[in-house]
Amino acid sequence: MHVTKEFKKKTFLKQFLLGLHVSNSISNPISIEQRKNSIKLSADLAMAFARGRTHWTHALITKLGQKEENKSTLKGILGRRYQILMARYSCPLLYQKVQRRKKGVRSYRFSYNAQKRRSALKGSCVRVSPSVVARNLENRRSKVLKRLVPGGELLKGSSLLSEVLDYVISLKAQVDMMKSLWRATQVSSSSNVELIPKCSIAKEGSFLHYSK
Amino acid sequence: MTTSRSSITEAEINELISKLHALLPEARRRGTHRASAAKLLKETCSYIKSLHREVDDLSDRLSYLISSMDVTTSQAEIIRSLLR
Repeated sequence: MHVTKEFKKKTFLKQFLLGLHVSNSISNPISIEQRKNSIKLSADLAMAFARGRTHWTHALITKLGQKEENKSTLKGILGRRYQILMARYSCPLLYQKVQRRKKGVRSYRFSYNAQKRRSALKGSCVRVSPSVVARNLENRRSKVLKRLVPGGELLKGSSLLSEVLDYVISLKAQVDMMKSLWRATQVSSSSNVELIPKCSIAKEGSFLHYSK
Repeated sequence: MTTSRSSITEAEINELISKLHALLPEARRRGTHRASAAKLLKETCSYIKSLHREVDDLSDRLSYLISSMDVTTSQAEIIRSLLR
């Protein structure tokens, strides 16, 4: 785990900075809201790229790439690879399946609640056996979980668990990275920034070029 | 549950569950087998939600900070933190 986290830090920062750079050059963000959205987008993309190829990273990139406002930023970051990646990741059929399943969930929940109400009215909870209740509760919770994790709706059981585990670890790492970034920028904004020599900025600027 | 799908053993599922359990912010860690599956799932859901909120909050703060300073200098600072 430690090795992957080390890779993740550098890759994350590189991607995050690239994302910020691209979104700044594309549109001079007028409002703080726009800048916040571009930061969030860059952070999520950076997290997905830093992790590599898993189910949830694919789903996340697909989800982000389908929103109109994100497309130009994504194109800027990925360059030539944009077309290839979007073609590979996006699959409209998958989302249709998900929509159909969502309808199923609502009707299931309704019948479950109706059943509980009926048994409560009759004054006895014995109608629904405890194992069934436990399983229903578990199903309900896992459905919530599936909605939280990108691409989770399509997974079951242990694969869902391993995806959740992976996603939680990456989220935690993302939060930690952003916290340290914030601390760094906070410190710099209070200190005298003119001390940075111009030549070092030029050197660091070349660092931002997207490289495989 | 269909048995044909469970090519992964029970032991591996238990391992995943215990790993997840170890990750969650342990305000109350009393014994390894205390957490039922439903409770674990519930705690995981709330943890993920709180992480999302943190990311939101951090990007808010970063946007205020970055907008108040020149972009090149902020990038320089970020790279400095990378090299630390």
